[in-house]
Amino acid sequence: MSPDLHHLSGAYAVDALDDAERTSFEQHLAVCADCRAEVAELSATAASLASLTETAPPPSLRASVLTGIARVRPLPPLSEDAGAPAPAAPAPTAPAAEVASVESDDVEPDAGGSVVPIRRRRRTAWFAAAAAAAVIAIGGIAWSPWSDDTAGQSPMTQVAAAADAQRVASTKGGVTTEVVYSKQLGQAAISVTGLPPAPDGKTYQLWYVGAGGTITSAGLFGVDAEGNGQALLAGQAAPTDKVAVSVEPAGGSDQPTTDPLVVLPLA
Amino acid sequence: MMGDMPASSSGASAPGEATASSASAATGADLADLLRRSARGDEAAFAALYDATSRRLFGLVLRIVRDHAMSEEVTQEVYLDVWRHSARFDAQRGSAMSWLMTIAHRTAVDRVRASEASRRRDDAHATTHQDVEFDTTAESAQASLEAQRVRRALTTLTDAQRSAVELAYLGGYTHTEVARLLDLPLGTAKTRIRDGLIRLRDTLGVPA
Repeated sequence: MSPDLHHLSGAYAVDALDDAERTSFEQHLAVCADCRAEVAELSATAASLASLTETAPPPSLRASVLTGIARVRPLPPLSEDAGAPAPAAPAPTAPAAEVASVESDDVEPDAGGSVVPIRRRRRTAWFAAAAAAAVIAIGGIAWSPWSDDTAGQSPMTQVAAAADAQRVASTKGGVTTEVVYSKQLGQAAISVTGLPPAPDGKTYQLWYVGAGGTITSAGLFGVDAEGNGQALLAGQAAPTDKVAVSVEPAGGSDQPTTDPLVVLPLA
Repeated sequence: MMGDMPASSSGASAPGEATASSASAATGADLADLLRRSARGDEAAFAALYDATSRRLFGLVLRIVRDHAMSEEVTQEVYLDVWRHSARFDAQRGSAMSWLMTIAHRTAVDRVRASEASRRRDDAHATTHQDVEFDTTAESAQASLEAQRVRRALTTLTDAQRSAVELAYLGGYTHTEVARLLDLPLGTAKTRIRDGLIRLRDTLGVPA
């Protein structure tokens, strides 16, 4: 293991890494059993510090929590084929890894047309549980300036026509997702290939995930028999939003009820 | 793991009886079982889990977030996540309490960094150091046996290690911010944090 990275285990265990460090350390964790073991121990150790700050929550919170969970179905256990990248890991939390694996090299064009890195994406509370459970994060998002536009007045090209259009793309498990966003238009469009149609009684749903963790529906989404689909996201897109896709009961949900299949930052 | 090892000799109480007491009153096995039942949609089991863990979880969130209303919101969010992901808790990877606290800590830290960062950081330099240090007198009144054990173990750390660990975990600061707050050379805080946690682990005897 790299000694440099190894020294990050303590800071990682107490969430004291910045986003970029966290991402790179999680990549390291995927291949370093020693660090995984150490992080588990140090996380448990740190958790004991919380015994020093116990505070009774207001009774009303209990009612809110129990009312809240009554409306949400617990996710099923993990399946074996969910693509955990680290066979050496004891009982890898694969789908959690899948969820947590959204890793991006966000860049945006500057005035001169070159690209500069901006801040990495932040996890939202939606993903926090999965992220915490998964010390494994593999995956990538490639970004390229919008320069290879193709024909057609698809939702993608409508948005892409804007002068400030930016594109973010990700490929994972054979599914390629692209999001085009124009800050001027306040609009975003999504294109997906290789996504199997939603099961009977289910639909795909698009979401905006705001910087504060608020999640807003951006409409339903379908793919054709080939697994391709495009849509303009409903509603106004903010630069700090991320776009997520989840499987929901037919007709859609007010809030997501399953883990996102994909999450992409808009910019 | 702490949840697995009640520092007290109070032993295991039935899950339903863990109400409003310190989390150490419920054993790790109890909590893990409650999580398993929650995964099957057992709301009563989840209520028992809440009762056994909410003091500790809310206390940590409040310590990091500070704002009471936002802490309640974060706590609710955490429990909803726990409920939703309860089937994915894996006892082989750690204790139930550790799992819960990891989720809570991450969520609280992400929340303050995302939405409250500037305001909180503005006055951080002036006040945080004293603020984050333990207020021993206030806490000793209700200190659980585990808390006493942890506090004793903390005395085995150097001052620099203890401050770094506390600021990072209970303050929710990044190691870079910790370095600044403690006037440490950049890059050394992460070593202090790790060294401090390792010593704490060895003293407390947290199992792998």
